[in-house]
Amino acid sequence: MGTEPDPAQTADDEMGPLERWTHGVVNDQEKRNRLYKALFYVAAAFFLVTTLFPFYWLLVLALTPSVRQADWNVSIPLLGEVPFPTPQGFNVHAFVEVFQQVPFHLYVFNSFVLATTTTIIVLLLASLAGYVFGRLEFPGRGLMMLAILAVSYFPPAAFLIPLFDAFLGNAVVVPFLGIELFEPPRLVNTPGSMIMPFSALFLPLSIFILTTFYAQIPDGLEDAARVEGTTRLGALFRVIMPLSAPGVATAAVLTFIAVYNEYFFSSIMALNNQPEQWSPLVGGILSYQTQYTTDFNLMAAASIVGVLPMLIIVVVAQEKIVSGLTEGALKE
Amino acid sequence: MARVHLDDVTKRYEDIIAVNEMNLEIRDGEFVCLVGPSGCGKSTTMETIAGLTKPTEGTVTIGETDVTDLPPKDRGVSMVFQNIALFPHMDVYDNISFGLRLRKFDKDEIDRRVQEASDVVQLEGMLDREPNELSGGQQQRVAIARAIVRKPDVFLMDEPLANLDAKLRVHMRTELQRLHKQLDTTIIYVTHDQAEAMTMSDRIAVINAGELQQIDPPLVCYNEPANRFVAGFIGSPSMNFVEGDLTGDGLTTDHFDLEFDSDALETVADDITMGVRPEDIYLEHEADSTTSASETVEARTDVLEPMGDEIFVYLSLDGASSELMTSDEASAASNQLLMSVDPDTEIDANESVSIVLDRSKIHLFETASGEAIAHGIAALSDGMSTASVAPEADSGGQHE
Repeated sequence: MGTEPDPAQTADDEMGPLERWTHGVVNDQEKRNRLYKALFYVAAAFFLVTTLFPFYWLLVLALTPSVRQADWNVSIPLLGEVPFPTPQGFNVHAFVEVFQQVPFHLYVFNSFVLATTTTIIVLLLASLAGYVFGRLEFPGRGLMMLAILAVSYFPPAAFLIPLFDAFLGNAVVVPFLGIELFEPPRLVNTPGSMIMPFSALFLPLSIFILTTFYAQIPDGLEDAARVEGTTRLGALFRVIMPLSAPGVATAAVLTFIAVYNEYFFSSIMALNNQPEQWSPLVGGILSYQTQYTTDFNLMAAASIVGVLPMLIIVVVAQEKIVSGLTEGALKE
Repeated sequence: MARVHLDDVTKRYEDIIAVNEMNLEIRDGEFVCLVGPSGCGKSTTMETIAGLTKPTEGTVTIGETDVTDLPPKDRGVSMVFQNIALFPHMDVYDNISFGLRLRKFDKDEIDRRVQEASDVVQLEGMLDREPNELSGGQQQRVAIARAIVRKPDVFLMDEPLANLDAKLRVHMRTELQRLHKQLDTTIIYVTHDQAEAMTMSDRIAVINAGELQQIDPPLVCYNEPANRFVAGFIGSPSMNFVEGDLTGDGLTTDHFDLEFDSDALETVADDITMGVRPEDIYLEHEADSTTSASETVEARTDVLEPMGDEIFVYLSLDGASSELMTSDEASAASNQLLMSVDPDTEIDANESVSIVLDRSKIHLFETASGEAIAHGIAALSDGMSTASVAPEADSGGQHE
């Protein structure tokens, strides 16, 4: 044939099944939509399984009495015996035992207090910093932002030894010169020794989040608030912060979760794994492990109990975030 | 209620001077418009009065208090912003009562005042709405209510109507005038729209490049502009300017001469710019109405712009049909004149016409400095001393 072959005319039987399918997807809107839908479900299912499976595992572990936890095998046709956790009993008592064996509620309380206090401190300081970086013009702003960014990349472990040294109550000494600067109070085993480093470590992220949000609030609103009778600070807390609710909520949730889960610093600042010494939630979970026994069912139950307050907070905050985003539409 | 006094206020940013040695005296209860082109420093002037910007030099006095170092909240001013700036997270009631709540007024007093303010701006029944549920005009009313509810000494408005559509703008203009009568408060109003300035204000302060050009009642600014900038800025379409030389017996330009007794002028400059408004140019055969028609000027019509109530005619003085220009450019070019004629005038594009200028409405400016020398040359030619010769206005200074 001298003329160009029409692609639609190419006989179907000349193409293989894969070629026919790709051809259909490329040319047919209907087929393409079906493919997108399928891909969406695959991705969503993958995501759900990977996030929810650990919870399933925790639940199964918690409900199965520890004596029966050796037998996880499930027989599947063709594959034979496959190790897969399935409930081997319904021992709800584990959730009670969690509190009987160890004062677990105290550990939860510790983490909760640490996380709340840190979040409040971080939001307060990051709001001030975010206001300055986001809304004021001054020489050296970029440089200072860069410095904060750089500090936020320091490994937390690098701060650990000097901080531990100082929090033990040893005098802070200038290196090499031996000049004693001051003698800090002994802070180990108190919330101060944990809240201070947490606040410092999680501050940069919140500063970045709030800087971008505060920078978007129109100048006119702040001017209006100031003329109406607030100071700059008043305008920040009465107008700019409420209008940046989604950003504030994001910063708060991220900080809260990070501190609530924290173990590295607090396990060292609390000299013993005792709730009286402000050992955190993870410390509590680990205390079901003794020298000779490990109560996996109790650890799992404790984990679930520990997750619950977090779950409630995230659900509540998420509602705030969503409402903030939809109402948002910042019109001056 | 209070007078506002700016004394040598200068605002300098790193590389530019936004406001340069501004002296402004605004009387108690006066409605003053600050007008000028974009970026002329009028908003910065307003911000220094509000306290949102601190002047680099000079002092701001409101009433008898030097407020230069006071924060905005302690100045007794309230402000309406160009972008309205209602707090989106509060309903109308909370927006209006924001300032009162901050000042810890008691609940009943707040209720009473909000009710009163919302009556003034006709916002009945909208107090529990959210700002984003309101139309532009309603939002602007809420902003005005928020400003008047505190009963401020001085009421600042920064282009409050700029974001409204044309019809609403005219409507709000009359409402603002009514409001001013009702409140009897000092109002300072920033606008770049000279129509707003002309219609609403007791006095207009024309600002250009950070300097006060003239502050006078609207018609004085119109009829006796202090300098060429004011002459060109006030009035639409703007005044025609033709550059020329002063001779012993009048003014000579490239295209026509005007005869008058130039010795009566208090000027030493030879380069003079003549200015005449489009409505003061007449076709020769229709010029009966003018008492003091000037020498006939031959011109060729170029483009006609029928506006309905009048026709704008672009006249080319050198006969050549020049490239199209906007009305502002045309009036600034020396070989073009813009004339307005009655809508029923029989006139066509590209025909030769003879025109006359109204001698009593011709303005003379020094070309170099732009300062006005005389307003109206009719009296000059008669040798009478009653010519309204402009007083020697020192540049940028106050002129009353």
